[in-house]
Amino acid sequence: MAEKPPPKPVSPQDWESLTEDFRHGGARREKWSCLYPSLAELALSSILKKEFPFKIPLVIFLDEFSHLLFPSNSLSSLLDRLVEDLRTIVQSPIDGVHITYSLKEQMMVSTTSILISTNSVEVRCTAAVVELLLAVINRPNHGLDRHARAIACECLRELEKAYPCLLSGIAGHLWSLCQSERTHASQSYILLLTTVIYSIVSRKLSISVLNTSVPLIPFNFPEWILGPEKEGSGIGIGLNYKELRRAMAFLLEWPRVLTPFGMMVFMRMVMPLAVALDLQPSMLKVQFFGMINSFHPVLCHVVLIMYSRFSEAFNEKEKDIMRRLLFVSLEMQQSLVFRLLSVHWLMGFLNRFMVHGGDMEKKKSIVKMGFMFYPRLFDPLSLKAIKLDLLALCSICIDSLKARSGSDMFVGEGKSVVKLFQDGLISVSAFKWLPHWSTETAVAFRTLHKLLIGSSSHSEAHPSATNELMESAFYSHLKGMLIDMILEFQRLVPVIVAFVDRLLGCQKHHWLGERLLQTMDENLHRRVVIDYRIVSYFLVFDRIAENKTIPPRKLLELLTKFMAFLVEKHGPDTCGKSWSHGTKVLGICRTMLTHHQSCRLFLGISRLLAFTCLYFPDLEVRDHARSYLRMLICVPGVKLRGMLNLGEQLLGISPSSHSESFFSMQSPRQYQDPKKYRNISSYIHLERMIPLLVKQSWSLSLLPLGAGNKSKSFCGIRDSEASIDERELDASIQFQITSEDERVDKPWVPLYVMDSKVSEILEILRRHFSCIPDFRHMAGIRIKIPCNLRFDSESFNHVWGGESPKSRLHGVEALPVLYATVLKFSSPSPYGSIRSCHIPFLLGQPPVSDYIPGETALLDIDDTYIGSGEEEAYKAPVAIELEPREPTPGLVDVFIETNAEDGQIISGKLKSISVGIEDLFLKAIAPPDIPEDALPDYYLDLFNALWDACSSTSNTGREAFLLKGGKGAAAINGTRSVKLLDVPADSLVHATEHYLSPFIVSVTGEHLIDMVKYGGIVRDIVWKEEALGLLLDANTSGSELNRMPLQLTFTENEDERESQVGINKRSIGCIEILIFLPPMFHILLQMQVSDVSTLVQIRTDHWPCLAYIDEYLEALFLT
Amino acid sequence: MAGDCSIRAIWILNNLDAVVFSRRFPVVEKRWRAACQSENESSEDGAVKYTVFSSLPSDSELAAAFSDRKMREGSVRGFGIRVSQSKEGSDSWVDDPITRHIVGFYINREEEGETNLMWPLALHIKGPYCILILPLVEPRHVKAYTRLCKRSDCGNAVTVDESLSSLLLDLPSITGAFMVAHAIGDIVTGDVADPEVVVSQSPSVGGLLDSLTGSIGISGISRAKPVAAPVASSAPSGATAIGALAPDVPKSGSRLLDKDALRSFISSAMPFGTPLDLSYSNIFSIKANGFSSLDIPPQDLKQPAWKPYLYKGKQRLLFTIHETLHAAMYDRDEIPDSLSVSGQINCRAELEGLPDVSFPLTGVSTSKIETLSFHPCAQVPERNVDKQTLMFSPPLGNFVLMRYQATCGLGPPVKGFYQLSMVSEDEGAFLFKLRLMEGYKSPLTMEFCNLTMPFPRRRILSLDGTPSIGTVSNAEHSVEWKIITSGRGLSGKSIEASFPGTVRFAPLQTQRSTSFSSVHEGATDDDSDNEPENANNMVNIEEFLEEKMNKDLPPVDLEEPFSWLAYNYAKASFKIVGASLSGISIDPKSVSIYPTVKAPVEISSQVTSGDYILWNTLGKCPSAVNAKV
Repeated sequence: MAEKPPPKPVSPQDWESLTEDFRHGGARREKWSCLYPSLAELALSSILKKEFPFKIPLVIFLDEFSHLLFPSNSLSSLLDRLVEDLRTIVQSPIDGVHITYSLKEQMMVSTTSILISTNSVEVRCTAAVVELLLAVINRPNHGLDRHARAIACECLRELEKAYPCLLSGIAGHLWSLCQSERTHASQSYILLLTTVIYSIVSRKLSISVLNTSVPLIPFNFPEWILGPEKEGSGIGIGLNYKELRRAMAFLLEWPRVLTPFGMMVFMRMVMPLAVALDLQPSMLKVQFFGMINSFHPVLCHVVLIMYSRFSEAFNEKEKDIMRRLLFVSLEMQQSLVFRLLSVHWLMGFLNRFMVHGGDMEKKKSIVKMGFMFYPRLFDPLSLKAIKLDLLALCSICIDSLKARSGSDMFVGEGKSVVKLFQDGLISVSAFKWLPHWSTETAVAFRTLHKLLIGSSSHSEAHPSATNELMESAFYSHLKGMLIDMILEFQRLVPVIVAFVDRLLGCQKHHWLGERLLQTMDENLHRRVVIDYRIVSYFLVFDRIAENKTIPPRKLLELLTKFMAFLVEKHGPDTCGKSWSHGTKVLGICRTMLTHHQSCRLFLGISRLLAFTCLYFPDLEVRDHARSYLRMLICVPGVKLRGMLNLGEQLLGISPSSHSESFFSMQSPRQYQDPKKYRNISSYIHLERMIPLLVKQSWSLSLLPLGAGNKSKSFCGIRDSEASIDERELDASIQFQITSEDERVDKPWVPLYVMDSKVSEILEILRRHFSCIPDFRHMAGIRIKIPCNLRFDSESFNHVWGGESPKSRLHGVEALPVLYATVLKFSSPSPYGSIRSCHIPFLLGQPPVSDYIPGETALLDIDDTYIGSGEEEAYKAPVAIELEPREPTPGLVDVFIETNAEDGQIISGKLKSISVGIEDLFLKAIAPPDIPEDALPDYYLDLFNALWDACSSTSNTGREAFLLKGGKGAAAINGTRSVKLLDVPADSLVHATEHYLSPFIVSVTGEHLIDMVKYGGIVRDIVWKEEALGLLLDANTSGSELNRMPLQLTFTENEDERESQVGINKRSIGCIEILIFLPPMFHILLQMQVSDVSTLVQIRTDHWPCLAYIDEYLEALFLT
Repeated sequence: MAGDCSIRAIWILNNLDAVVFSRRFPVVEKRWRAACQSENESSEDGAVKYTVFSSLPSDSELAAAFSDRKMREGSVRGFGIRVSQSKEGSDSWVDDPITRHIVGFYINREEEGETNLMWPLALHIKGPYCILILPLVEPRHVKAYTRLCKRSDCGNAVTVDESLSSLLLDLPSITGAFMVAHAIGDIVTGDVADPEVVVSQSPSVGGLLDSLTGSIGISGISRAKPVAAPVASSAPSGATAIGALAPDVPKSGSRLLDKDALRSFISSAMPFGTPLDLSYSNIFSIKANGFSSLDIPPQDLKQPAWKPYLYKGKQRLLFTIHETLHAAMYDRDEIPDSLSVSGQINCRAELEGLPDVSFPLTGVSTSKIETLSFHPCAQVPERNVDKQTLMFSPPLGNFVLMRYQATCGLGPPVKGFYQLSMVSEDEGAFLFKLRLMEGYKSPLTMEFCNLTMPFPRRRILSLDGTPSIGTVSNAEHSVEWKIITSGRGLSGKSIEASFPGTVRFAPLQTQRSTSFSSVHEGATDDDSDNEPENANNMVNIEEFLEEKMNKDLPPVDLEEPFSWLAYNYAKASFKIVGASLSGISIDPKSVSIYPTVKAPVEISSQVTSGDYILWNTLGKCPSAVNAKV
């Protein structure tokens, strides 16, 4: 589009649109760029045309865009033409139509402006222009062209400003011109002379300002402009003080002829002159201080500048200044912005005065004046806001003065600062009842904020300021006020919360926000009335709940009460309400759970949640409460908080910690992408080598809690928790840790008659328990779960951009590699600390298309060889070692941290590994002194002893058995159960052989022994052949009485009873199994096998495991 | 450079956010660039170095930046104080209401980084135009402001060194920029009226135009017209110039944005960007009339720059005391009524030469006057002198000689109460009981008095009731009661007026105005939970109604004193002539002129009502503590 240059402008309309294009900028201006030098030429010739009505705008246009229109390559010739044009126009007679004063003036102005802004000390041009201008001004008091002379003076002044001391050689002439000029143009002459003197003084030129020996015209370009700039490089050295002071005295005679803006320009130069020439500042004060009383804002400001420059000379005038500024803010005729400005000036003034001002008493009296000005009713809100700032400033100043002087200080008529401030707030008091988005509210809270952070600044850390703030009357008033407001005007809650948020968001004042929340927490709960209106406080509660520094107890109590209230009030018409409120309460609970250590919350929140689960009318709320409760109980704190953190928040954070690491330098952008980490478990797998029989997801059930103490994540709540557990769980197991001296006289030491059998049993048990390591005092029993680590090459490359040149080079064979992999484990279940695992090198699994894994490969021998071999290479064996504190199934979480080939750090969470109950099955520990061949008998004896001990009537119940190391002890409190398995005997035997063979202690019954022996897997056990005595024998240890209820409960149904009888009749034998469950529990199984079904009697000293065993047995035999 | 005022550029935008006028001053711009350069050279400590935006944007870039800020800040002026929508780096983040006037633009936001803040821009809105003036400041000031608006903490404390206040105190160029903005605003909207000087006897008080039109029959009170052209010589050149001048006088609203007039004003007022004189009438007279050889400068004095012409003709001296009465009438025990007067003395001195005028201010010492401020031409008397004498050298045409704030010396001219009680959701019973001009003696005359009850948020269906005096009419959203109609002025006596009645409204539409609640609502608005219960608990209908009405109450601008919509009130408007209410007066006999000439002195005074509000005694009302100065 811009290929063809636009036609050259001719008519005024062309020029006008050209001007518009230039102003608009962008492409519209660009299209003219090829014409730049010729445009200026065209314009310059147009200006001289007689019949051309667009002259003045065109001159202004040249002026405004001289940096574009006067390119440096053709600058010289263009300037020549410009000056020539100027000469032509200035020297033409006025005809009122084509040559007007306006055109002459504009031409002078624009030429000067172009000369200056093109930044060329073109001596020729500048000298010519100066000469031309001097010729214009050299006719003082001439009537007609007085304004043109004024403008010419302004042009000369600009040139003098741009090239200081340009005119200093002719200062004498200028002075005499200035003296003679009496028209309104005199201001420009005065300013011109002042400027010349100003540059003489600032360059320290020793020039006589009275000397008129150098002719005014022709103008000689002074050499000090051309020469290198040197201090005092003029004629001689040092200022001619006497003459300069005379000139100053002359100038200071005439301030009253100046316009306010002229005065501003004048004062700017006079002030440094006064300093340089050692004039008395008090003289300036006398001359100019009266300007403060003008309603012209510029004049007021000039006085302020003067004050800040000569503050000591204006001593004692502070009050006048303050009063005046305050009055400006009151003047309703004044435009709002100047009223605002005046208050700002006042604050700036006060700030400086407090730093530099005089003695204490003076400061006090000055600051007190600030209190005279409350916002007035009809003041605009912006003015009110800023006046309140002023009040805040004054009160803070007073406070600091009070602190320094130590005297008690009251302001006004015995009013305290707090009172003053309350009065100030009245002007926006409507904020209390207007909607919270009202402007009044915004102003009021802005003021509160100003007041609160008050004297503390953000820049420096003042520990003392913190204390001062805490002790200040304001703070204590303010916090009370906030509480009152919350209680009285609930609509303000969102605003107050936003206020607190603002403080919380500030690094310096975070503590203040916290303190306010704490105060609210302390005071609110006492005073809040429990009813539906409490909902409006939830926003506050949420903040309180978020805050770690606030103990959640009070809030939880309040919420519990509220829940009770909701339950109580529930009726047919409040369903929606209950749901909504209940959900909100749970929301707060959630917030707490995510932000607090579980141990701080546990008691209160579990009570609240339990109550909700039980009684809340709304099902959804109940459900949610239940799941929160379960999570709270089962999941340790850190993990819980992670789970509750919604969305990507947490995911977004976790990788960032790694991005700090050394390697991140290589590809920093990739670390910003949380998506990569999110699905890490979809291509890196850690799998169990032996799949679990029971596909048990980790259990949320309350039951596993039973066993005594929690794992360490619930530290610190032992006392309270114990009481809960006792209530809930009927104390089926007592596990006691006793200190040595306590053990000496235990209150529950058994007193019972011991027959020989019992004592024998006890002997066996004592011996057995003494072999069990006490994990509290030594390394516990460990179990190992073998796993494999592998990862899919294809998806790995897809995510991590593994299509590296290297891999392309080697084709398919080049598989991705993980180096120095570290697997970290953690578990919510009580498995103790799990050691992390290190794998130095792991090759990625090739894509499925060219790799046939697993069983299919077995068909072909070659493939099997290669396949399995490669399979091994692609898998790294990992053993997870657990040290269970309690025999519960659970989950082990796996975190991976590894390095890819190019040094990228990959980290994330893998799929959790589930631990089944069967993983915990161990053979009982045999005492070291038992010979190998006596072991079967030992196990049988142990089995029998435990079997007996686990019956409910057992006398051993109250016996404490010392564990290994002698510090801890265990008691046996047995439970029993039965299970009927509808499986044929042979499949039962098969499954038992396969899964439980290590734990079998004896097999009874001829037929059964045959079956088992035939399999050849089970060895080294006690084979009892007396098939007939089977039932009897099996039940010798328990009495008939004890069995009865069991039988009854089991055979409630007549049919089953018959079948049971049938089973018994065709019983072919019995298998006894002893399983040790770490850390110190047992499961005893007695399987009474018959042809078509088997009755399993189960006894254990750890009742919660019954549920798992039940499931396990079903999985083992019935599927 | 401090202490000066120079303008880098001027832009005028219309209400479509398009630039309709712009002017740049290359000489000032050169100084700015030089300052930037030396700043950059001086601060070479690597990391913290950042440059300020160092070139002027084109019109299109500025317009883009303008609408960008408008988007960011919610409106042209912006939030002003930090609200939840405020963004770091924007003006409202600074949390100061003055950022509604002194604004910063980000030029080419996308292209450049952090260095594109252009500050300060004086923003003045007049009519449909936004006038933006960019004064020259030092780069360090811009940096200081950048630090202020980018601070990451919770806001500025009041007593820190680097505050907006101290910046503003150091920058008179901002003050000057606003003066320029106001002057330009008046020109673009044609609102260049001189202050009013009222004289009852004489028909002509305005400029030359008035003397021409006044003689052809416009009698009575006339106002000064804009452009006080000098009463010039009778030279023929002057006469032709006057002929040319008449059609060029910008009439209010008739010729909006006369670019030529504006351009020539700027060229004269600030040829290089540094303002020298902003008096439109002077500049315009010089442009239009020029000078003739008969305009002879005074012999021994210098003619002030603000008085380019000297008066010639019949001499006289006119003063008008003009007061505006603001009142908040509560009729409650706990809140005292407040009455305040803001007044000014306008003057027109038709005196030859450069005389000084002086007169004693009477009534000032009796201390009803709180503040006094004066025209720059006045010599200011020392305060606390019993008899203050004011001396001034008057400029040409009408001018404001002094301004003052005062308390009302007499009682309120309209006294009484207004009660409005909602008997149901849509019906209100009201009662006025008023006493007019109680204690006011002749020559104080109330020319007219109206009372308006605005109901901006309800539609009036019907109005019942008859006032004891005057007539009543109602519009859709207001009721107007004309107590005293013009022509039947009330003088020398007081009257009582009462007006009981009922007003019926159309049912309240509960429109949930999402427009502002979405903007202004940071937090959850879950009032629905509370509603039913609150309704039952509501003590009376009024509170319920208030609650309901407040739900969609929009927030007011910071330029308003309070949320007018939230209150019920009646507003009185009246005019009283005859004397001032503050007690200030000028004794014509004591006015002296030096050098002495015989010139008649005429003095008039008038009082008009400003915000004269009768708050509903039964409802809520705003108030403020009235601190004694």
